[in-house]
Amino acid sequence: MEILELNNISKSFGAIKALDNVTLSLRSGEVLGLMGDNGAGKSTLIKIIAGNFKQSSGTINFENQKVEFSKPMEARDKGIEVVYQDLALCDNLTAASNIFLTREIKRNFGLIKIINFSEMFKRAKDIFKDLKSETLPDEEVKMMSGGQRQAVAIGRTKLSKAKVVLLDEPTAAISVRQVAEVLELIKQLKNQGIAVVIISHRMPDVFAVSDRIAVLRRGQLVANKLAKESSPEEVTALITGAIEKA
Amino acid sequence: MTEQTLEKNKKKIKISNLHEIGLLIALILVLLLFSFTTENFFTQRNFTSILRSASYVGLIAFPMTFVLITREIDISVGPSVAWSGLFFVILIKWYDFSYFSSAAIVILWGILLGYFIGIARTKLFIPTFITTLALWSALRGYSLFVTEGRPIAISNKEFRYLFGGDILGLPTVTWIMLGAFLVFWFASKYTVTGTNFYAVGGNPKAARNIGINVDRVKILALIGTSLFAAIVGILFVARVSSGNANLADGMEFDVIAAVVVGGTALGGAVGTMTGTLLGCVFIAMISNGLIHWGIDPDLNKVVKGIIIFLAVVINSNVTFKSNSGGPKED
Repeated sequence: MEILELNNISKSFGAIKALDNVTLSLRSGEVLGLMGDNGAGKSTLIKIIAGNFKQSSGTINFENQKVEFSKPMEARDKGIEVVYQDLALCDNLTAASNIFLTREIKRNFGLIKIINFSEMFKRAKDIFKDLKSETLPDEEVKMMSGGQRQAVAIGRTKLSKAKVVLLDEPTAAISVRQVAEVLELIKQLKNQGIAVVIISHRMPDVFAVSDRIAVLRRGQLVANKLAKESSPEEVTALITGAIEKA
Repeated sequence: MTEQTLEKNKKKIKISNLHEIGLLIALILVLLLFSFTTENFFTQRNFTSILRSASYVGLIAFPMTFVLITREIDISVGPSVAWSGLFFVILIKWYDFSYFSSAAIVILWGILLGYFIGIARTKLFIPTFITTLALWSALRGYSLFVTEGRPIAISNKEFRYLFGGDILGLPTVTWIMLGAFLVFWFASKYTVTGTNFYAVGGNPKAARNIGINVDRVKILALIGTSLFAAIVGILFVARVSSGNANLADGMEFDVIAAVVVGGTALGGAVGTMTGTLLGCVFIAMISNGLIHWGIDPDLNKVVKGIIIFLAVVINSNVTFKSNSGGPKED
């Protein structure tokens, strides 16, 4: 089933055309690798899907219904979550507190509402187990490795029962061992029927998890094909413009 | 020991606990030092006196802890206390308001003042340091102008005995402070509001992105210090039976010193109410002990200055890499 369809999306910032007639769709349980040079329009596209920007023209369908998001909250309510490059975690809070931030589980004592930490720890533990990650719910995020931090950030999307997860450079700035951990997290999301878009500069990471590769160059979609029918060499050529279209 | 087991051991003791334990040990050492070197330090009467001054400071230090955690600061609390007390007395003496309605008006004033500082910060983007520095000058100046520098006396024995005296062997203000401590401690540990203060201090950008109303959280924190400065102003009047423009001179320094000595980072994100409570007692005990040593009150300030400096040095070295908050917002 096509869960997300982008039809002829364009976006201009003044005279600059950041996206030019992009048509792209995504299925549940599919991992799409979105590639392109800096300024190719990847982030703009992600931000339009997530409700940060409004497209200048074109339509978005989500679960076969036309949607228009005026702010990120609306996209999130539908089940579209973004995990940003800077991760958006609070280092001074525990993993569980980060996952449940703004959605804390509470116990009511009359007018007083108390955070139910034991329940939050339990649920967070289950989420990490689902993701096959060894992250401890009661540990503060500042003590964690890059891979564990990604697990916390992705854990947030699990809590909201996201249907589409957009990952912005999930494997940048972490060690090789942790990259494997993060790629495993992405596979777990896929196995659970979640549609994943991964933006990355790291070719091997993208090819390791993606079913399909889409390449943007100067705002235009120049490739959208199955990963097994493409190759890192071809994608590099598409990104740089050595190959016009594929 | 391998690197990994070292990591694990480090995790077992939280840094905040480490700081509190260290402070508690320092507190006991200072207590012993003064007890053995002076005659009248180790007496019930003197402990009551220490508790009393720690309590006035504590009442403002608890909300100040939240303010610092959210990466803001309020340096206007000293003049704010003086003006609030004066305002309270003026309403009673000059305008014939009842004690109760005067107190209500002054408390409302405190809330509005904090709201103003918060709005200036979040909507006009004026750093709280600047706004509260302006208020620090303006409130003290206005208080002196209105009273021509003379105290305004009130005489009401019940009011004085109830709020300025003792209940069950402890100063009333200490009971109020302990009640406030429980509320703030509980809020910081077990409520969403408390968690939001830490989240905003930890990573404001993330907090905003996730859907926390960062502006509202900061405004709430700033209302806290102004509100409690107003309350302390009224309690001071009960103690000294007058409003005085020179009251609470340098109190902002004691409050911030107590919070920082208690382990709260000036850069935000880190701090506990227990630490702040210990910090208040620590600062009050040192001030008191130095008087018993016969040290000049002016030099007393020098010693306090050194202590706050050392506390920040220790604080930033213990917590520097791991605690100094996440990415900066502005």
